[in-house]
Amino acid sequence: MKRATIFLAAVFLFLILPLPAHADISITLRLDRNEAMLMDSITMLVKLSGVRKGDSRPVLKGLESFDVTRTGTSSRFEIINGKMNSGIDYTYLLRPKKTGSFKIGPAEVKVKGKTFRSNAEILKIAEPVRSSGTHRGPLFLKAALSSRKIYVEEEAVYSLKLYCRKRVGDLSLNLPESEHLAFKQLGKPVEYQGVYNGESYKILEVRYSLIASEEGIYAIRPSRMNMTVLESRRRSPGSLFDDPFFSMSSRRPMTLDSEPLELEVVPLPEMGRPAGFSGLVGTFEIESGLEPSRIKTGESATLTIRLRGRGNIKRIPDLKMPDLDQIKIYEDQPVLEEKTDSKGLTGAKTMKWALVPEKEGRYRIPPLSIGFFDTGKHKYRTLKTRPRSLDVLPGEPTRVQAPAGPDKGKTTEGPAKKAVKEIGHDILPVHASMKDLATGSRERPGGLVFWVLLLLPLFVYGGTLCGLKIGRKSADSMTAAKAKKAAKDFIRQCRQDDLSSNDLILYITNYFNNRFGLSLGSLTPDEAAGIMESKGVSPETTNKMKDVIKTLEDAVYTGKGYDGCEMGENIPKLIRQMEKEIR
Amino acid sequence: MKRFISIFILAMAFFPAPDANARTNGWDEVFFKANQAYREARFQEAIQGYDRLIRSGPRNGHLYYNLGNAYFKTEQLGPAILNYERARLVIPRDADLNFNLSYARDQMRDAIPQSQGFFQAAFFWLDSLSMGELFLGFAVLNVLFWGILFIRLFLRMEWTYYLFLILLIFWLIGGSSFGLKWYQARSDDRAVVLKKEVSILAGPDVRDTVLFKLHEGTIVHHERSEDGWSLVHLPDKKRGWVKSEAVELILTNS
Repeated sequence: MKRATIFLAAVFLFLILPLPAHADISITLRLDRNEAMLMDSITMLVKLSGVRKGDSRPVLKGLESFDVTRTGTSSRFEIINGKMNSGIDYTYLLRPKKTGSFKIGPAEVKVKGKTFRSNAEILKIAEPVRSSGTHRGPLFLKAALSSRKIYVEEEAVYSLKLYCRKRVGDLSLNLPESEHLAFKQLGKPVEYQGVYNGESYKILEVRYSLIASEEGIYAIRPSRMNMTVLESRRRSPGSLFDDPFFSMSSRRPMTLDSEPLELEVVPLPEMGRPAGFSGLVGTFEIESGLEPSRIKTGESATLTIRLRGRGNIKRIPDLKMPDLDQIKIYEDQPVLEEKTDSKGLTGAKTMKWALVPEKEGRYRIPPLSIGFFDTGKHKYRTLKTRPRSLDVLPGEPTRVQAPAGPDKGKTTEGPAKKAVKEIGHDILPVHASMKDLATGSRERPGGLVFWVLLLLPLFVYGGTLCGLKIGRKSADSMTAAKAKKAAKDFIRQCRQDDLSSNDLILYITNYFNNRFGLSLGSLTPDEAAGIMESKGVSPETTNKMKDVIKTLEDAVYTGKGYDGCEMGENIPKLIRQMEKEIR
Repeated sequence: MKRFISIFILAMAFFPAPDANARTNGWDEVFFKANQAYREARFQEAIQGYDRLIRSGPRNGHLYYNLGNAYFKTEQLGPAILNYERARLVIPRDADLNFNLSYARDQMRDAIPQSQGFFQAAFFWLDSLSMGELFLGFAVLNVLFWGILFIRLFLRMEWTYYLFLILLIFWLIGGSSFGLKWYQARSDDRAVVLKKEVSILAGPDVRDTVLFKLHEGTIVHHERSEDGWSLVHLPDKKRGWVKSEAVELILTNS
């Protein structure tokens, strides 16, 4: 056991420890392509041979016009013809910032004071082709604004829609940044199916509330979405590894830009601006309530004012309650509820006051007002609460209780807590239940049931898999046998007397079907030529066969299909020739 | 086929299975008497009863626990801890057992440092699960895992793929847990000191130098036995020989 462990450890160490390089040091630089579009990403591989991990990292030149991301490093160790060679591959992803022709490289690496240089590559970056007309390709990003002209502090909805007909993943979004413009995401991105210019797309939509704090004309630069496009390259169908887990799916990084937009932000009008305007812009409404409206002296009533609506709700000011004669006022902490929906920001602010009258009588609670700019009506409006009256009856003074707010909850105190003190020590009693005799007896599994549960499912699966494989193999071998016999059968059929064009064309079609495992109902000269070319038959033989089939077709279509045909002797020779040439 | 079934049923009628109740009735009685003895503080009698059941009867965790209790009451800390540890192999999450074991350990005189290996830290749940429970869990996962692979031979739908991935992860975790527990159980070399105080000698001879002393209940690791002597070591690598009768392996042979 110990020996096996030492052996395994030695093998493990042998594999993981960096090994001395015995080969010459070399460095190569490779791009996955030399021409790309501005929105593309290019994979660059720098291959270091004969170096160990930690020796040095390559220094790359000529990448000033690219965003460079290192996507991976892998170590290589290979033994070719008894010669050991180790190396490191560095993979980078290049995203061009501008168009032009660029010299990428050389990459340089310093090992033991000596500098090694790689080759350089030329990379041409062109403008992305904007297809004219309606066709936008399988992936594109569209941006839109709910309104192109808004007021300062008014909200516009900036929506981004990713149209895709391919599988994408690892999405990340870079929103355009601009001074005085604030983006806030509205809810979660939504995914739905839609049609764009007659083509069905999966659409991923994400919305942002956009508020400008200063007037002006804003050029909103394109939003940039980075993603990985997944394109699966499946293995042979029916294989054990033929599923997404084992399939080799290629992941291509991609960047999409939306179109730039322009937003005009105009200042709020001066005319009609209410005094003490807080900058509240949107559509709002106010409601108020006094509970209870009839109390005894010393008791409290709660005045609640709630302002709710849509817009820059953070600008809702805290209303001030004027001093009232003979009434003590306790202000509660206002509560701001902020929400978002697909149309923008919504919310409410609730303000409460506890009113405690000191004397009986009828009190008038004056209306409170707030001004805001109504974006629906394009003018300033003032909202006012209804005046309320409070009837106070004589009574025993009671404890004043301010309205319960987030910090003013009622606290209750129980008896003082003490740590539990142990008085005695002993063990817990025996398990005396009869059912204890029947449970807890599986100390170690073993026996037949153990092996059956462990191995039977594996055998059932393996057996079924083998059965399926054998079944498939026998189907393949039947097809192969058929192909082998095809020429013989055809030649035998051609030996018959009085062969008509109809018969011959049927026999030739059958020959092609059997020989190449096809199921063609009829065979045209071009189809036959295509098949023969793909199987490596010479152009001469192919043309001869094409002529033969054409001649037979002509005979059939000109009503001579049932007449005797003299070609029956020549075709077998052609088929034999074809058999020789088939790869 | 029908005829075969009829014959089988008839055969079953004429040759019934051995009466399970008759077999367990004897155990019930012994168990009842041992419990009664324990309650009436006749602990030696209780020890004999539980011991008899373990040797010839169901051998379950609760019996080891009860036996441990009875030993504890007779102030035999070593055998008490030995039986609690044996019970822990089968019913590791039993609250009474863990309480009593912890209490018994508090009574021990030797402070032995406990070291936790990488695997014990990574597979922290192993201590709370018995081998039987782990096996059952893994057996179910095994059936489900191969079952989904079997289904995928005929039904290649997306949900089967994701189910396969989930089951693969659980199957790997379950399999490695079970394998590790199996290995632990096979290589469990822990033994408990049964005597009040034992001398650990430099060699298997009473004339050899006394290296250190251990007291009842201390858990040592047993290396090998020779001529009535056992070579043991502590987690801190102290090693020495002790009379074999003074220690007993937690892992039972049967």
